[in-house]
Amino acid sequence: MKNIPLQMKNSCLIKGPITPVLISELMASGNDDAGAGAVSIFIGRVRDDETDGKRVTAIEYSAYEEMAVKEVEEVITTVRSAFSDVRSVFIVHSLGVVMAGEASLFIMVTSGHRDHATRACRHTLEMVKERLPVWKKELY
Amino acid sequence: MKAEVRVLYFGAAQEATGKSEETIMAADTASLRNQLISRYPALKQIPFRMALNRTLLKGDSGLQKSDTIAIMPPFQGG
Repeated sequence: MKNIPLQMKNSCLIKGPITPVLISELMASGNDDAGAGAVSIFIGRVRDDETDGKRVTAIEYSAYEEMAVKEVEEVITTVRSAFSDVRSVFIVHSLGVVMAGEASLFIMVTSGHRDHATRACRHTLEMVKERLPVWKKELY
Repeated sequence: MKAEVRVLYFGAAQEATGKSEETIMAADTASLRNQLISRYPALKQIPFRMALNRTLLKGDSGLQKSDTIAIMPPFQGG
């Protein structure tokens, strides 16, 4: 985690795309817990959708940051209490411009065994979609 | 009694109002909503929800001085 800002330890909003380097650092951050036998990861990427003959080249994300931080903490608390085998939950969302093909959402859940890792990861994703005050503007 | 509250606009609500924030006098969220829609007719097209001091409102609420209300169109994260 050496290049990851301290406030991102569990989760956060970062400026720009979630790069492969950052993804690998986030993944490595769970390595110090040898009891976590299962790691489930979801990565959301910007899709180059076409609307009215125009193709999306990037998305600009904005957020109500103070509320988003609070919501992320609540999501993590909820997931941890719903899935007893879960050992850590990471949520990272981009702000600002993210190009098509680049990652804008990273969720990682570690647990003792596979069942809670996969289910809790999916559950976290759905809660993020439902509760995170984030908005997007398509750029063409 | 009316209170001066801070109103934040996000996403499409920012475009509809042309502002990111302002202060408005309102007694409660229901009257604030009506006030905003009459002031910014474009907001009528947006199914926005409100957060009071960073918590999503499920119903209407009274307002107090220095409350912060966020005008939030449907979330689009992910």
